[in-house]
Amino acid sequence: MKLINRKNFISIVCISFTVLVLVKLIWEKAIGLTDPRYTENIFISLGFSVLITVILAVHYYLQRFPFVPVFAGQYLLTVGLVLGGVWAIGHMVPLAPTAYRDMFISVTIPFVVCAIIYYAVFFHQIKKANAIIESLNEE
Amino acid sequence: MKLVKTKEENLEENYLELHYDQMDEETGAVLERLRDTLKYIEGTYEDKKVTVAVTDIFYFEAVDKKVFAYTKDMCVEIKEALRDLLEEYEKSGFVRISKSNVVNIYKIKKLQGDLNMRVIIYLKNDEKLVMNRSYKKDFYDKLAKIQGGKSK
Repeated sequence: MKLINRKNFISIVCISFTVLVLVKLIWEKAIGLTDPRYTENIFISLGFSVLITVILAVHYYLQRFPFVPVFAGQYLLTVGLVLGGVWAIGHMVPLAPTAYRDMFISVTIPFVVCAIIYYAVFFHQIKKANAIIESLNEE
Repeated sequence: MKLVKTKEENLEENYLELHYDQMDEETGAVLERLRDTLKYIEGTYEDKKVTVAVTDIFYFEAVDKKVFAYTKDMCVEIKEALRDLLEEYEKSGFVRISKSNVVNIYKIKKLQGDLNMRVIIYLKNDEKLVMNRSYKKDFYDKLAKIQGGKSK
């Protein structure tokens, strides 16, 4: 089933952008930080939301290929684009000393969390299906 | 409706016999399901025409524009497209698991996942098939539907 399509693409970008900005604001409030590059980071968050939604939408078309190479490829592509974006922005405005590291972590953590959830759901589905198959075979 | 199972020695062929006064909804539904199950399919095996019970088929496979039905000890060539077979025998427990395979759910021994997120299907004849990730949802839906139907 195609979860992300042309009709809901913008809505998904908007929702993920809102969630991302809310998490950013809550985090900043919690640690008492005032973002000195608020505007730039808001646009980076928007770009990040668009990128992640595109990556997830493309995943549907890659389902016939083995998961690990697809996932690794998508991760490397995302990291490459994000760090490339940081590099490009670095030509226009001064970057924080930890900019590359921060963006690398920001991309890696969601990917790792998604992979863990995906694997957990995958093996749970198999366990559930095996229970049904066993009950069918017992009849 | 009552189900009576009787074991008889030296029976030539298993048979079902229905005793009823009025054909009620429940009995009708059981008969309808049986009609979907007790089907036969014609094909060619070693240049001879053969008829195979659909319930004996483990899976259908499309190879080089030919479709084969695999039973415990035969590989029968079928003159129907995989898509048509699926449409016709879906109610008998057949579900698509890849572009070239349609499997009989009742012939599955177990499923196993690998790190590449592929589902390996072990059949009761000790063969194994690989389920494509894009057909996973349909497969699980079908399984849940069969279980739902059985528990009613």
